[in-house]
Amino acid sequence: MNSVRVILKNRISSVVSTRCYATTKKKIPDPDEEESLPIFQYPVSKSSDRRMYVWGLAETGALGIHIPRGKKGRKQYRRDFTHCWYPMRSTFAERFDIAEVAAGYGFTVAAIKTDGQHKVFGTGINTDSQIGYHAPRAGHPLELLLSPAPIYLPYKSLETKVIGLSAGRAHTAVLTDNEGVFTLGNNAYGQCGRKINSNEEYKGSMVSHNIKKLNKEKLVDVCCGQDHTLFLTEGGKVYSCGWGADGQTGLGTFENQAYPAPVQGDITSEKIVKVASTGDCVLALNDQGELFGWGNSEYGQVPMKNPSQQVNMSYALLELTKGLGKITDIAAGGSFCLIVNEAGDAFVWGYGLLGLGPNVQTCPKPKQIPPALFGRNEFNPNCSVKKVACGIGHLAAITNNGDLYMWGRNRQGCLGLGHLKDQYFPLKVAIGAHVLKVSCSVDHSVAVCKPFV
Amino acid sequence: MQQLQLTLAIIKPHAVKNPVALSFIRNVLKQNFIVVKTKRVTLDQNAASVFYKEHVGKFFYNRLTTFMTSGSIDLHVLAHMNAIQLWRKILGPTSVYKGQFQEPYCLRGMFGLSDTRNVAHGSDSPDSAEREIKFFFPEFSVYQWRKEDEEWYRKGPIVFNQHLFQHVKRL
Repeated sequence: MNSVRVILKNRISSVVSTRCYATTKKKIPDPDEEESLPIFQYPVSKSSDRRMYVWGLAETGALGIHIPRGKKGRKQYRRDFTHCWYPMRSTFAERFDIAEVAAGYGFTVAAIKTDGQHKVFGTGINTDSQIGYHAPRAGHPLELLLSPAPIYLPYKSLETKVIGLSAGRAHTAVLTDNEGVFTLGNNAYGQCGRKINSNEEYKGSMVSHNIKKLNKEKLVDVCCGQDHTLFLTEGGKVYSCGWGADGQTGLGTFENQAYPAPVQGDITSEKIVKVASTGDCVLALNDQGELFGWGNSEYGQVPMKNPSQQVNMSYALLELTKGLGKITDIAAGGSFCLIVNEAGDAFVWGYGLLGLGPNVQTCPKPKQIPPALFGRNEFNPNCSVKKVACGIGHLAAITNNGDLYMWGRNRQGCLGLGHLKDQYFPLKVAIGAHVLKVSCSVDHSVAVCKPFV
Repeated sequence: MQQLQLTLAIIKPHAVKNPVALSFIRNVLKQNFIVVKTKRVTLDQNAASVFYKEHVGKFFYNRLTTFMTSGSIDLHVLAHMNAIQLWRKILGPTSVYKGQFQEPYCLRGMFGLSDTRNVAHGSDSPDSAEREIKFFFPEFSVYQWRKEDEEWYRKGPIVFNQHLFQHVKRL
């Protein structure tokens, strides 16, 4: 009996000694160990790093990102287009160094910093070959590109840099530093700056046109309206070509212009530094900060003494901008205009949802959008608007803090606010980076940003 | 059952060039109307000025004709009991800049770019519908259609031919 108990005791003790505890012995930190530990370096961005954010209608492929449609059955084209509701970081810009972007009607073009042949990439609608010839199957060119593809342009030298991009309804203009402007796409009105051929087939066309210099002057900026193109030379002269039915070419006629010609009127003696146009109305800014305008004026964008709806020559808008000070940035939308003065105040006039309240209204005179809406208050008195942009029905402003504010008609979610409702006052868009440039079109928007850290 | 009414729908160049808009518009047409005839043409300056001769002298006349000749346009003869009004209702207000706020989900509010680039044209009365159909489809007689074909388009059986983009008699 005794022996049995001893055996049992031994067995129990042996079980206890092999048990594993969940806790470990508390480690006493060694004060010298800290210095021997490796320091983990989080990746910090370079100052040249750029990000691209895209939002709006994804159905056309203009965003270059794939958004699955989901199971909606047969009625997939009812009203449920695929949208990108909030700014989404484009993976394309992570692979390449973005230099310039431009948003056209249902397509986007982006230029990258490279010494290779492929400097410009495009995605979206390609029915007029506005983003080049892409035919995976010979003889069957693509009408729609869902992800960025390189655009072939006949550069003389591969050292050429793309310094400007602009896109219209169905044409693209690529500005290079020493080879002038390359234009692609629809030329039905002469917006590509070459001879109009009424029977030309634009789908699957491989044509690109090069405008080296205008009047022996180098080109420094290019701006595409819906169906016209404006060129700015080194000497501050503006040339235009394309559709002139609203006077948007500013040549004193209402005819189509096939070859770029100097804009007539008040700007001929001025040094212009910027031209802006999205729809059919054009604004120009000279080096003194004075404003000029021409083109469509049905909604009072270019108010004249005689009530004319189509202004076919440039006019100085001194009376309109009286008391606003020096103007620093301009943008012209479909039925309204938006400008910024030196103090960083934004002024708007025209017709539409202008950001002045919930009503769609006509505003004949420039009216200031309350600066508090752009974040200027007692705690933040230095906040000011630096850059502006306009789509056909929506407006955008970038402040000196790199915040992007958008408002206006929210067609297909182009405001990036997460819904389809119109926005009647400026609201900050959720972008997690410092916004440098925004390009608005009809139903999508693209922003180039700098990372915060 | 009421007789079918005919109307002419013209899809303007910028919408024809946008595959997303075009497929949306075509679905709307197919679901709401009987499509009797479909044709894709490119207008020349003469044809456009004859077609829009009622607008001669208005400030937008030149703009309208040059726009309509800038690319191919789709023509559809549509039949419905209330075709003219229904098509104009689906289209929405003529002026895109003004109408897009009142009716954001009409075709013009969704795809219109400006007052001229306003997606599509619709006849405004039975007389003008007949005149416009005759202008673009000289081989198509509205009188003949009403006398002979109207009944089976109304009563069926008809099927939709995707290739022709037309409703046809089911054989």
